Amino acid sequence: MKKRLGIIFLFALLFGAFITIWNKSYHQGLEEAYIPIKKDNIINELPSESKVFTRSKHALNYAEMPVDAKYQRSLITYYNNRAYPGAPPSIPHEILQDGIVGGNSCLKCHENGGFVIKYNAYTPVTPHPEMTNCRQCHVESRTKTLFKGNSFYKKTPPKVGINNALLGSPPMIPHALQMRENCLSCHAGSSAPKEIRVSHPERVNCRQCHVPKDKEIKDLDLFTRAN
Amino acid sequence: MYTSITNRRSFIKKMALASAMTAAATMFPGIIFADEQEKNIPKDADLDWKKGPCRFCGVGCGILVGVENGKAVAVKGDPSSSVNKGLLCVKGYHQIMCIASKDRLTHALVKKNGSYVKTPINDALDLVASKMKQTIKNHGKDSVAMYTSGQSTIPEGYVASKFMKGAIGTNNLDCNARLCMASAVAGFLTTFGADEPMGCYEDIDSADYFITWGNNMAEMHPVLFSRMLEQKNRRDAKIIDFATRTTRSSTASNKSILFEPQTDLAVANAICYEIVNNGWVNTSFVEEHCNFNKGLTKMGYGLEDNYKFKDKPSKISFEEYKEFLEDYTPEKVSKYSKVSVKDIKYLAAIYGDPNKKVVSYWCMGMNQHTRGTWMNNLVYNIHLLTGKISQPGNGPFSLTGQPSACGTAREVGTFTHKLPKGVVTNEKHRRKAAKIWKVPYERIPSKPTYHATEMFRAVDRGDIKFIWTQVTNPLVSLPKTSRYKPGMQKESCFVVVSDVFPTPTSDVADVILPATWHIEKSGLYGNSERRTQHWDKMVEGPGETTDDAWMTIEVAKRMGYGDLFPYSKENHVEEIYNEYRQFHVGKKHNMAPLEVLKSQAGAIWPYVEGKSTQWRFNAAYDPACDNGKDFHFYGKPDGKAVIWQRPYEPAAESPDDEYPFWLNTGRVIEHWHTGSMTRRIPVLHKAVPHSYVELHPEDAKKMKIKNGEKVKVVSRRGSCILPASVNERGLPTIGQVFVPFFDENMMINDVTLDAFCPISKEPDYKKCAVKIIKA
Repeated sequence: MKKRLGIIFLFALLFGAFITIWNKSYHQGLEEAYIPIKKDNIINELPSESKVFTRSKHALNYAEMPVDAKYQRSLITYYNNRAYPGAPPSIPHEILQDGIVGGNSCLKCHENGGFVIKYNAYTPVTPHPEMTNCRQCHVESRTKTLFKGNSFYKKTPPKVGINNALLGSPPMIPHALQMRENCLSCHAGSSAPKEIRVSHPERVNCRQCHVPKDKEIKDLDLFTRAN
Repeated sequence: MYTSITNRRSFIKKMALASAMTAAATMFPGIIFADEQEKNIPKDADLDWKKGPCRFCGVGCGILVGVENGKAVAVKGDPSSSVNKGLLCVKGYHQIMCIASKDRLTHALVKKNGSYVKTPINDALDLVASKMKQTIKNHGKDSVAMYTSGQSTIPEGYVASKFMKGAIGTNNLDCNARLCMASAVAGFLTTFGADEPMGCYEDIDSADYFITWGNNMAEMHPVLFSRMLEQKNRRDAKIIDFATRTTRSSTASNKSILFEPQTDLAVANAICYEIVNNGWVNTSFVEEHCNFNKGLTKMGYGLEDNYKFKDKPSKISFEEYKEFLEDYTPEKVSKYSKVSVKDIKYLAAIYGDPNKKVVSYWCMGMNQHTRGTWMNNLVYNIHLLTGKISQPGNGPFSLTGQPSACGTAREVGTFTHKLPKGVVTNEKHRRKAAKIWKVPYERIPSKPTYHATEMFRAVDRGDIKFIWTQVTNPLVSLPKTSRYKPGMQKESCFVVVSDVFPTPTSDVADVILPATWHIEKSGLYGNSERRTQHWDKMVEGPGETTDDAWMTIEVAKRMGYGDLFPYSKENHVEEIYNEYRQFHVGKKHNMAPLEVLKSQAGAIWPYVEGKSTQWRFNAAYDPACDNGKDFHFYGKPDGKAVIWQRPYEPAAESPDDEYPFWLNTGRVIEHWHTGSMTRRIPVLHKAVPHSYVELHPEDAKKMKIKNGEKVKVVSRRGSCILPASVNERGLPTIGQVFVPFFDENMMINDVTLDAFCPISKEPDYKKCAVKIIKA
């Protein structure tokens, strides 16, 4: 009898404990089910300013990177691949799979660059890796023929070596900065066109010395004085 | 456009060569291009490179100016200067272009019947002298005033002080450094009893953490910031940006912490609370080298004319200080500073860790503050409590804005209360000045008169009847110009303006004197790290332009004080410097002799036994320490620095329902102060052609304001219409707007408030309440 009571008591205790634990975890489960309403994330990011520094962690590597003269890009090929200066470049190589998204494919090579034996070239680095829908702007070039002839005037690209105001002073930036705020991606490393490859990538804060030549804003008034 | 290169033929030849090189380069794609990039730049073999300091900020970079056929044609960083090691910023590289501006003031102009008449310089100086003399005769010595600059050279400041205080006998001399460095000075004097930073730029090379307090160094002290970025990349040093606005510096930093304007006082105290309560106090250092003091509180804001305040310091115990800190627990402070408890503790832990070397940098954010002196004291508290001071890589470092705010305004003392050594209220100091100046000691008045803001209030009231400004543009740079501009236009005051270019200040002048620019004269500047730098005249100034120092001397001579100014026109800079050096003889402040300054890119004072003293107050580096201990704060009579009990007090004007936004003003990298020079440099003007008002995107969205759209910034004082800037250069916090003040066509200082720090008398340009209306 005693033994039986003991067993019943033990089971009663276990049952009680089960109820308590189950009850607690049930309530906890309810709590977790509540999703707190978050305030909209306040934008605390300055695209035009911060992107100058996004590749700065590679600056020292850039500084040490030897010049691989044989495989350097030139400005001619750089601009030949664009409809006009400032236009998104087209994709000069074939794409095997269609329907791919940048993050999984394009960025594999174009985020940090490197030599690709298949194309015998250094991969250009994108200045805006956060935009992963690459082919929204960058398209293939599958034919050389045209549907109809076209007389579009292609503006002459900015020239190198004439953008400094004084002898030896740092050249001004002759192109627009929108989506090209990240200077190092095009101006440093093995894929940089040789004419515009910077000799001092380790300086990082580029716009300390190089300022835009023609800012794309409306001039309000000329800076004039009354007398 | 770039007519500064006048030898057109050689220039065209060079350009032809350059384009040929470019063409050649494109034809031979195998060539390594680093060389060709260089070749595009014409060879500068025939340029004569002359050494000097940069004209612009207080960093004091060494520059080399390329001179060809008597014209300045190029600028490069001086590789031998330890400040910048060959690097400059965009302003520095293009500085010489401003002197070729077509509206350069080349002759004296005297206002006759409402229009300016070109006048021979000698006649103009005659007029200035006779007017000054007559004003003194009719209205007394204190009716004339001189307002100079932290951009004046050491000799310019020195003769101005000697002329006003020694010759005429009035303390009506103040300078624009009152608007930028006065709180730093008051901070140094109250804490250490000796002005100017103890450390030097070499600190950057060994610090583990850089904490910047309200200081956008990437734009305002760019060359130092580059040095920091270099350490960040090479040694993994960390930059922490503590500010009220997200800027280029924030984005380049390891961490950006934003705080509500004015609450820096509370956060600094909260850091001290954490240091004290976590046992991070360097007890032996504090016991041996520090006193605890408190001063008066609820000082007011100096908004009313003739406002007077004098602090009454009294000693307190460490226990009392600890009790005071109870109000500043991170939890309490977090509520109104909007800095998270975690971030406050994070900052405190960095300062508190004895194995981490920390340098604090600050400039206008802390100085242009109605409690600027307190704020300076509080950051010193942090460094004193932890003993992180006066050692390589460890220390508080107050950066200067102007190239010679240290060298001229602070060391020569072109403030109303100052003398080249000491203050006018001290009889010993007056006697010393009188002896070197060879004037009767009674002539130097013992009472300070007007500080900058009060000086222009006195002009407005009609108390000052003659004012002469040099190297400064107060009608753009003063706060609340909506009052001071009409004040200066009044008939009651005769206004003389010396400048290189016409400015809104010269627009109200009765006489405009044409000054030579930087490289058109010889001079000396003193930078933030106590480095004195000399330069020789490099090119001739146009027309009848004259050195500012020489114009002061000429007027003094015409007023009958010729015997006090026995300098020669050709060599006055050196003669004046040699006379001035006598004031600072001694281990605590000895200035380097001229031959040293000529042979190298400057020298740091105290210059003792042929050596610059890089870390003051530290016996290992500073020969002036003589108490036999590791550190000696010899500025104070007992050799101890002061830890101040300074509370949080609200700003003079905070946003309310009617004026819901904070207005913060400041600079951009491309422009120097009021833009009179940089706007005349085509490269810089094209990069930032006009001012703007930065809004937070959320605020802009709420008010339906688009980027570039014109909006009106309105305060109780005045208004200003500017284009909106959303997500461009900087990002103010929600409820705050930011406006750069360089643009004389968009006068934001019509809107600002002339409240100032009661101790330092430095106005607060960073905080007032405004509303934003679509214009």
